[in-house]
Amino acid sequence: MGRLTILNLNQSFPREDGSRLQVLEDFSLEVQDKEFVCILGSSGCGKTTLLRLIAGLDTGESGSIILDGEEMKGTNPKVGMVFQEYSLFPWRTVIDNIAFGLEMQGINKEERYHIAERYLNLVNLTQFRNSYPSELSGGMRQRVAVARALAVDPVLLLMDEPFGALDAQTRNMLQTELLTIWEKTKKTVVFITHSVDEAVFLADRIIVLTPRPGRICETIPLSLPRPRDRTSVEFAQLRRHVLDLINQPKCTLQ
Amino acid sequence: MATIAGKEHWIKEHWLGVLALILALVFWACYAALIVKNSFLLPGPGDVLLAFIDLLQKGILLADFGVSLMHFAIGLSGAILIGIPIGIAMGWNRKADEFLNPLIEILRPIPPLAWIPFAIIWFGFTPVSAGFVIFVGAFFPILINTYTGFRGVPRIFVEAGRMLGCTKTNDQIRYIAFPAALPSVVSGIRIATGVGWMCLVAAELFGVSNYGLGKNLWFYYNLHQMDAVVVYMLLLGMIGLAIDMVFRYYIDRHFLKWRTGEVA
Amino acid sequence: MNALKISAFALLALALLLFTAGCTQQAATPKISELRIGYQPSTHQMAHTTAMEKGWWKADLAPLGVQNVTDKVFPSGPPEMQAMLAGDLDIAYVGAAPVLSALATGLDAKIVAGVNTQGSDLVVSNNLDYKGPQSLAGKTIATFPAGSIQDTVLREWLKKNNLSPDKDVFIKGMTPGDAVTAITAGKVDAIFLPTPSPSTVVNQGKGRIVVHSGEMYPNHTCCVLVVSGKLIREHPEIVRQIIRTNDKAVAWNQQNLDEAAAIYAKKTGANLADVKSSLQEWDGSWVSDPNIIVDPVLDYAKFQYDLGYIKKPLTKDDIFDLSFYKKS
Repeated sequence: MGRLTILNLNQSFPREDGSRLQVLEDFSLEVQDKEFVCILGSSGCGKTTLLRLIAGLDTGESGSIILDGEEMKGTNPKVGMVFQEYSLFPWRTVIDNIAFGLEMQGINKEERYHIAERYLNLVNLTQFRNSYPSELSGGMRQRVAVARALAVDPVLLLMDEPFGALDAQTRNMLQTELLTIWEKTKKTVVFITHSVDEAVFLADRIIVLTPRPGRICETIPLSLPRPRDRTSVEFAQLRRHVLDLINQPKCTLQ
Repeated sequence: MATIAGKEHWIKEHWLGVLALILALVFWACYAALIVKNSFLLPGPGDVLLAFIDLLQKGILLADFGVSLMHFAIGLSGAILIGIPIGIAMGWNRKADEFLNPLIEILRPIPPLAWIPFAIIWFGFTPVSAGFVIFVGAFFPILINTYTGFRGVPRIFVEAGRMLGCTKTNDQIRYIAFPAALPSVVSGIRIATGVGWMCLVAAELFGVSNYGLGKNLWFYYNLHQMDAVVVYMLLLGMIGLAIDMVFRYYIDRHFLKWRTGEVA
Repeated sequence: MNALKISAFALLALALLLFTAGCTQQAATPKISELRIGYQPSTHQMAHTTAMEKGWWKADLAPLGVQNVTDKVFPSGPPEMQAMLAGDLDIAYVGAAPVLSALATGLDAKIVAGVNTQGSDLVVSNNLDYKGPQSLAGKTIATFPAGSIQDTVLREWLKKNNLSPDKDVFIKGMTPGDAVTAITAGKVDAIFLPTPSPSTVVNQGKGRIVVHSGEMYPNHTCCVLVVSGKLIREHPEIVRQIIRTNDKAVAWNQQNLDEAAAIYAKKTGANLADVKSSLQEWDGSWVSDPNIIVDPVLDYAKFQYDLGYIKKPLTKDDIFDLSFYKKS
């Protein structure tokens, strides 16, 4: 349940001058069931491209994406996604946003509200059930986005820098909340970030990518038990360790 | 609109507008009486008021309003029923856009007035004929705003929808694109309402009916009774304003309450 | 502060606009450098088209101090009278009925001569089996708008035949162009228009002439020659010459029908064949003696007053100035 295998993925984009920019070349990765993996890299290293390919929003030129032994082509109800930007449907209330995926599955009103309310509780926004996204703060909106993605009970959750647009305090709070939800719902998570601190706080394993073409330059397992204290000595050591690895020539060369 | 009750509060909020109207009225009366001194060239407010009372007593104003409203409703509903689907097709589908766009761009600048001969030829002297002239005016704002609304649906909504199982085009249009585009569509309808109302005078020019605000405006024009003409001009203006206000305060609020967080 | 400035500027602009609108009243100067004639595209008014295109207006009036003569065409009477009311015309060839409503509104002008009598036809579409006025019950007829000669004659004739306009027969007022379009497209059952429009419809095979207006109202006045009060008061000699030139043109037209038709067709853009057939079939006469039209015109005035089209009754002296016409 929720075991992801990426094999030999290739993706390129046409440039203005006609040549092609290779974004991912022969990319492979294995994510274990219930694992929390962070993909770390600077901008332009192909991490968003990778995520969109896993999600099925785009199609790679070659290679395959396999979930629990089945190859995936296109979007799949077993895979959920939380986008970086404002992706909630502004014309729907919070509860209707969360219930959207269930509505698409044809579940009747009473039942889907019942399920949606469960996830609303999970992200601690029960009293905003009937509010519109425009009435919520950025952090609250992302929590609703998480609830919405989880409501259809995917086995794999993809997150594209979901807290990138938020202030530091909200960010920290949401990271903690995310871990709580992850522990409760036992999903496999692939989380993209360019923040070392965020990756160190959240991940079981950090995958570091180099850009153009996107390639794994380092894989860093993190064994520090959770909850991780951002101010602890161990955390700082772990952080230093990761930073050193990132700054290696093989990870910084173009 | 003032939610705090009280006429005094309303006047406090709108006193500038009221002042402008009063000044205009006074200016008009003085200018007509003292400078122009010819009620054919410029009827004064008094002449117009008397003509209004006379028309009220004759009992035709209500019939005029009813017939004009009917013509207007025919034209506007035609524009909505035809303009929105075409706008959706062109906004959502690039091929449809490329195919229809040149045709639309050529037809759009043709003024509704110029369509009168074809209104007569195709629809004769039926209410649909007058409605057709109004349709020509109302159609393009609705089409273009619907088109723009659909073109402008942020891709992220569609992608979020796809991730949540909304993969068929019909579902995407129904559950995502249309709600997202609705503010634009409503805006288009509101503009079309204004333009369509203005076409009433052209629509009722060619003897399509025995009653109508536009029709009687021309009737009294032909009899050189300019004071009655001004009555109809003012009625057209004020009713047009009322229709727009219905839009602004009722429809905007009902359909678009999720936008209240934004700058109005 | 800026908003107030803009509002003040806008009001000032509006005032200037209105002021210049009022100014057109004073446009006519004591010396006639330009004489402005209004007319309609109907063979009723061929005296004007001949006189204009042959240069007779200019030639005959130059010795009296008129430097230039211009003309303007109108689709129907009311806009022509509007122009005269606004002071943009000195002379008008126009149907007698629109003159009356203009006079009642305060037009400073007089009818000084006739132009023609009769000359309008009722044309029914080919599906209408016309056996007499009763065949029109329940039908739609397009004609000039309310207040025109045609509208007036038609209504009186229907009433005489016990058909109530607007209840038994439906009359729609519009320009002749729209009316011809309407019957050609089969959207109205009949039209009642002055020549040459009836011939246009007949020659296209879209209808046939069943009643001449002279049968509806024998010798009814149609078009008349109207001259502004200013011209009458300040240049009576010009008014006299205008009538003489008009008569000259009428006489010439009667002698040279084909050439006159060609001149008319060229000037108005009408189809020459239509013009020629209309001159063959019409029951009209170019008659300029105003004395014989006094009674019919007073009849129209009473009719319009009864209908409420004009708000005050008009007398013979309100309408006519018979002093200029000299029987030749």
